[in-house]
Amino acid sequence: MTRTVTAEASTDRLIEFSGVSRVYGKGAAAVTAVDDVSFGVDRGEVFGVIGFSGAGKSTLIRMINGLEKPTSGTVTVLGLEVSRLSERRLPKLRARIGMVFQQFNLFTSRNVAGNVAYPLKVAGWSRSERDARVTELLEFVGLSDKAGHYPEQLSGGQKQRVGIARALAAEPDILLADESTSALDPATTTEVLRLLRRANEELGITIVAITHEMEVIRSIADRVAVMDSGRIIETGTAHDLFSDPGDGEGSFVATALKDRPDADDLARIRRHTAGRLVTVSLADAGGVGRVLGSAANHGVSFEIVHGGLSTTKSSSYGLLTLAVEGAADAVEGFVVELRGVGQVREVQA
Amino acid sequence: MIGIVDAYRELDWGYYGPELLTATWETLYLVAGSFLIGGFIGLLLGVTLYTTRSGGVLANRPMWLLTNFVVNLIRPIPFVILVAAIQPLTIQVIGTGIGNQAVIFGMIWASTFAIGRIVEQNLFAIDPGVIEAARAMGAGRFRIILTVILPEALGPLILGFTFVIIALADMSAMAGIIGGGGLGNFAIVEGYQRFRTEVIWLAVVVIIILVQLVQIVGNMLARKVMRR
Ligand SMILES: Nc1ncnc2c1ncn2[C@@H]1O[C@H](COP(=O)(O)OP(=O)(O)O)[C@@H](O)[C@H]1O
Ligand SMILES: [Mg+2]
Repeated sequence: MTRTVTAEASTDRLIEFSGVSRVYGKGAAAVTAVDDVSFGVDRGEVFGVIGFSGAGKSTLIRMINGLEKPTSGTVTVLGLEVSRLSERRLPKLRARIGMVFQQFNLFTSRNVAGNVAYPLKVAGWSRSERDARVTELLEFVGLSDKAGHYPEQLSGGQKQRVGIARALAAEPDILLADESTSALDPATTTEVLRLLRRANEELGITIVAITHEMEVIRSIADRVAVMDSGRIIETGTAHDLFSDPGDGEGSFVATALKDRPDADDLARIRRHTAGRLVTVSLADAGGVGRVLGSAANHGVSFEIVHGGLSTTKSSSYGLLTLAVEGAADAVEGFVVELRGVGQVREVQA
Repeated sequence: MIGIVDAYRELDWGYYGPELLTATWETLYLVAGSFLIGGFIGLLLGVTLYTTRSGGVLANRPMWLLTNFVVNLIRPIPFVILVAAIQPLTIQVIGTGIGNQAVIFGMIWASTFAIGRIVEQNLFAIDPGVIEAARAMGAGRFRIILTVILPEALGPLILGFTFVIIALADMSAMAGIIGGGGLGNFAIVEGYQRFRTEVIWLAVVVIIILVQLVQIVGNMLARKVMRR
């Protein structure tokens, strides 16, 4: 399932990383934050990058709008080679790329309307155009009544909605989101993610979202790159990644999803069941009910001891660990039938 | 108590009244003149120190090293010594080495570099994230300085400049050493040198009132800007 994205340029490819590395410091103290990374993002996609803190995600996303320069390799965005643009020529490109930050980074000296209007001033919009656009955006993010409020009068979720309105103001082609929900509680996270999804679906904006939270990727990403120690170690559609996260050890997704029982879980499970343990990966959660229902026909009983069904932005998938009890050949018959709906792995206890 | 009241009742107000008024105007002139020019140059210096440092929007190491060196060089020189030391320059620029204009020239030199540091310190308190946000929007460097960095630090800057004005009033009390006027000179010449403590206290009261007014206005403005 690991898909290596080749560097060939498609017409609708907005972002292209080709052999990009970024090293901080020199000599013995050098840190390779991004290590020989290649990938592409097409127009209209939501591209997620996930990895632990320190994996190099922020460095990676900041190279898209030239806030950071690669040490080697090329970054091409909207047809321009960002890595070679001078600080003077960067603003033009940046005006076409919105960015949202973990800490919101709202101007404390400006009210909500002033924050949203700022990029429009930079882009040279007239006063009346700005006013109209600000009204429209505040409506989009549901903050029309807060136009005159200052950042300190807003909740975290409201601040991030202002951040998103500001990032969308100048009608960018691309929206970069650096841990846009990591400072928010779960309910507010959902609200902000829904907004990002709407920006993608209703405004057609291409989004690159980096995060250490699986939930974010699961609910908005079309394609995902998994980053570890500066490298992209897995890429694929969100669906592929979640429905078949590879084998436990070493797979970030498998570890982060905790889709399979670990040693502690197994010890607990073993205390109250003696059945054969299998993990079923379902690429499509539909149809599983019928198969599970057939357990009775095989004369076996089962219990779901770990995992469950879930959804990505556009599909459903499941990762279930079952303890199946019954006569050995009957259990085998049931497992064979399970293989018909998904990938089955034995779990060694 | 009666003694004090009598002392002021018997004071020759016909003479001291106009003298005190003139001295007050002179102090205001010295402070305003040096503040307008020194404050402006100091602001430029502070912004230069802040923006040319590595990671700043105008990052430029030679420029930063030079500015930092000059500030560190001149700032510690005591006012009286500096005024004496730059006499030749003062005569060149002002046309004379004495009088209120010469004092202002000296006060500018003595305050500008301290103001630069005060400005720099206040700019340091800005969240770098907002500058990054402006950069990400495609704002140019000078636009960022004028529309992000200065507005974001405006409240603390107002308090810093309030402090500077009061320090300048303090400095202006030494104007007499090169023939300048003001309340300090009034207190020394009319009061101290003639053993008239009650005259010294006239200057003290006026100075206290002026300083309080400046502080109150400064606090009010800063509170308004910071919305507290
Ligand atoms: N400006 C910098 N100077 C030195 N090291 C840095 C700098 N920025 C990031 N790093 C280092 O690069 C690595 C990746 O950091 P970052 O891109 O912020 O990761 P992430 O966003 O995934 O947490 C870390 O080891 C971090 O310490
Ligand atoms: Mg980060």
